[in-house]
Amino acid sequence: MAAPSPRSHLYRLLLILVVFGAGFLAVKQWATPDSWNYEHWYRGDAVVEAAAQPLVYGGNDSCKTCHKDVAKLWRKKPHRKVACETCHGPIVDHAKAGKKTAVAFIDKTRAQCLNCHLEGINRPRAFPQFSKQGEIGKLVPKHKELDAVTPCAKCHEAHDPRP
Amino acid sequence: MELPGDALLNYVFPNNVHVAWSVMIVIYPYITGLIAGAFVVSGLSHVFKVKEFEPIANFALIAAFCFGLFAATPLLVHLGQPQRALEIYFTPHLTSAMSIFGYVYSGYLLLLMIEIWLIYREYFVRKAGEDTGVMKLIWTVLTLGVTTYHPDSAKLDRKLAVILAGIGIPWAFILHGYVGFVFGSVKAIAWWATPLQPVIFLLSAIVSGMAIVLVMYSFIKWRRGERLDQPMVKKFSAFLWGIFILDVTMELLEVAFAAYEKGWHWSQIKPLLLGPLFETYVIGQLLVLSVVPFVILGYVVLSGVKGRLMLILANVAASFLLLQVLFMRFNVVVGGQLISKSERGFVEFHWEPFSKEGPLTAIVLFSAPFVAYYIISRFIPILGHDDDSSVAR
Amino acid sequence: MNKPLENRPQSSRPVIDAGGDDARREFLRNFLAGTATATVLMVFGPGVAALAQGGSDSAPAGASGKAAPKHQFAYVINVNNCIGCGNCVRACKRENQVPSAVFRTWVERYVVTGEGMYVESPNGALEGFSQVNAGIREKATKSFTVPKMCNHCENPPCVQVCPVGATFKTKEGFVLVDPEHCLGCAYCVQACPYGARFINPVTHKSDKCTWCYHRVKNGKLPACVTVCPNKARLFGDLNDPESEVTQIFKDEAWMVLKPGMHTDPTCFYVGMPREVV
Ligand code: HEC
Ligand code: HEC
Ligand code: HEC
Ligand code: HEC
Repeated sequence: MAAPSPRSHLYRLLLILVVFGAGFLAVKQWATPDSWNYEHWYRGDAVVEAAAQPLVYGGNDSCKTCHKDVAKLWRKKPHRKVACETCHGPIVDHAKAGKKTAVAFIDKTRAQCLNCHLEGINRPRAFPQFSKQGEIGKLVPKHKELDAVTPCAKCHEAHDPRP
Repeated sequence: MELPGDALLNYVFPNNVHVAWSVMIVIYPYITGLIAGAFVVSGLSHVFKVKEFEPIANFALIAAFCFGLFAATPLLVHLGQPQRALEIYFTPHLTSAMSIFGYVYSGYLLLLMIEIWLIYREYFVRKAGEDTGVMKLIWTVLTLGVTTYHPDSAKLDRKLAVILAGIGIPWAFILHGYVGFVFGSVKAIAWWATPLQPVIFLLSAIVSGMAIVLVMYSFIKWRRGERLDQPMVKKFSAFLWGIFILDVTMELLEVAFAAYEKGWHWSQIKPLLLGPLFETYVIGQLLVLSVVPFVILGYVVLSGVKGRLMLILANVAASFLLLQVLFMRFNVVVGGQLISKSERGFVEFHWEPFSKEGPLTAIVLFSAPFVAYYIISRFIPILGHDDDSSVAR
Repeated sequence: MNKPLENRPQSSRPVIDAGGDDARREFLRNFLAGTATATVLMVFGPGVAALAQGGSDSAPAGASGKAAPKHQFAYVINVNNCIGCGNCVRACKRENQVPSAVFRTWVERYVVTGEGMYVESPNGALEGFSQVNAGIREKATKSFTVPKMCNHCENPPCVQVCPVGATFKTKEGFVLVDPEHCLGCAYCVQACPYGARFINPVTHKSDKCTWCYHRVKNGKLPACVTVCPNKARLFGDLNDPESEVTQIFKDEAWMVLKPGMHTDPTCFYVGMPREVV
């Protein structure tokens, strides 16, 4: 059955290599994603999919439609720099598709205020800080007398913090 | 411990607390290096006609093939999404130093297979005639159905095998220089980023590959109760010594350069080498594992030592070199990642012996080539009992 | 107008004019089409045709052609304003379901003393920072907090090294990861000089800040920018002369992290002290 040529085994090897090579190219063609971008070398659909990730935070505008009064007040006060969701958590936990779905998060403890306002050498000097001895910033007499439990809300209102 | 960047507190970036490339990526270049090194041994005989190495040329080739079979497995274990591994063939991103590895590696494996096939074809043909049953079928498949050995093919096959060996040497260099490039081109990691990295990887690969060929050869001969080929071992030691000297020179050059330059690199590397890498690099890799084999091999090569003592010394030195290269891989791969990119602290490395990528897996993967060798050696004559003549050399 | 991208100190390449990018790609294309045609044909098969013609970009962000992109987004971190509250870290975790112990963004606190410095980021500042201990506080010469995140480099090493094209830069400036294509090899993690990338311990894929691509595409700001109480984080379009990011460069000096890496970040730092790495 063997061919008489001394090279027949090499021809067969070559044939196998060619078949494998062609098979590989076919598989490669099949396995490359349809939306593959050969210029920038990425899967085109990846961008579409990335944009489709659901939103969690809605931004301040998303609260305004239902909380006009608070938003109106808030806008004129120093905390206008602080987004509603910074204190109340993301909108997905509270409202969906124009309807309230759950109670919004409210933290009335000192911890929330102190997270931003507790005096610290790492904070910008100009930032209003809560210190009992007045190490940093303005010494507030009322603060000096404070115990460690009185909520800030006793004198400050979250949406209109200036007492 | 001295920290870089005036730091008083060890600070690593929060995403940096784990070493992302751990033991698997240590043994991946190690095994890849063994292929390159073992192949060089066969190439020295086939291409450069170093006649002392003729008896072990085929053996080295098969050993290279066995390591080749498993070189990519550590990578596979390391991948977060191993089922997607083939994407490296389907959508290789040319700007990545890693992307063509798949092609270089499998091309090399193919070359090894063809070369081995050419060398053993005569044997396959003979076996296909002698054996019966399943074995006959297997042998026949291996002959690709050409079951008579044409007398003219012998010369042709030998010529082709030499050509393949000739291509194989630069290819082996590319394969392993390439692995060094994967590390050397990462500018973000000071301990990796040097153009010497490919050279260092290549030379250490040859050292480790030659060393393992010597150790395996001695072990097999010893188990069989056969005599070791003393002139071969002596010559082998000389080559090993020479290449090892080159290797260590490059390794030291890299550090010496950084140290003398006193630039950003050194600001990062110095605390690393004197701190977390002190044991494994300064003491392990340099003081013990480089000096000892250097002295022993020097003695073997330069003195007239002969007989059992020479064989033992050569093998002890080779074992040290195997460890030296393993340490070097560890010191580069893991060491580089110990410097946090915060430039103000060191990452802690945890061995995690039983994790997916831990040392246990490494041991299993590293044993696999030896098992493969054992199996292959059951079927074809690799290290000739002196009477074999059916295998082309 | 003083656009930071146009007169960055280390790079003269005008990135905003799309030409810069295209020139680079053209070079690559020519290189591929010329010297390496044979190999490329063998290796890439079907892709070559598209490479040669320049391909068409179906993706919205990377619309091909010579036209300048409609948006050129940039991120500005104003270190002077950061109060170190950690709201950005929390919001990012929530918005993007980032698992614990890894961070798409984090905040560092530096306390500089005469003897050296204390830098820390406890749990990425997820809970903000506690007060500096009194002993160190006495010695401190200055202290500040610095938010960190992916720099969305113009010249991203992570994109360069991805072996399969699972991460890429859109023309509008986002560096994104394709989770459906990522191998989880972590080469990008190694290549990033900023420690911004990580292997997500839940999905085992590469993960990083996307500048909240999904939010920006829906007309919102990134989550971290949304919740930042003191305008330490700004995000906007450099093509829009009215945007906050464009405005801030009029009167503030800017810097980028690790300029020596020549990654050309598009995340700019204003008021960054020299101690920051
Ligand atoms: C600094 C943190 C903070 C910010 C910013 C903030 N809130 Fe509040 N909010 C609070 C606290 C604390 C309470 C609870 C006040 C109380 O009952 O004493 C509260 C209560 C409320 C309530 C229920 C009680 C009421 O007054 O009607 C609503 C509604 C509300 N906030 C909406 C908003 C909206 C909308 C915004 C953004 C425009 C906003 N908040 C911004 C902290 C904040
Ligand atoms: C679909 C309309 C809607 C939207 C949008 C909305 N809310 Fe509300 N919210 C309500 C209603 C209804 C209540 C309960 C009425 C009340 O007690 O005043 C409420 C109550 C609250 C309360 C008090 C606690 C509670 O749950 O009863 C807070 C705080 C609050 N909202 C915050 C927000 C914030 C912050 C946003 C924006 C992220 C927001 N809301 C968006 C409808 C909305
Ligand atoms: C997310 C951070 C944050 C939280 C939480 C927060 N604040 Fe503020 N607060 C600010 C910022 C920002 C300002 C404005 C600073 C400025 O004007 O530069 C501010 C301003 C103030 C001021 C006004 C200072 C002045 O006179 O201009 C007071 C008082 C104040 N906050 C009290 C509170 C109290 C009480 C709470 C707890 C309910 C609180 N803050 C919670 C960030 C915060
Ligand atoms: C007993 C009433 C009272 C309580 C309780 C109180 N404050 Fe105040 N706080 C004041 C008054 C009054 C001022 C205004 C001082 C001024 O403007 O001169 C003030 C001012 C401030 C300021 C602005 C300081 C500045 O530099 O402008 C901050 C910030 C502040 N308070 C934070 C807090 C925080 C946080 C808490 C809770 C831990 C708190 N306060 C509890 C009475 C109080």
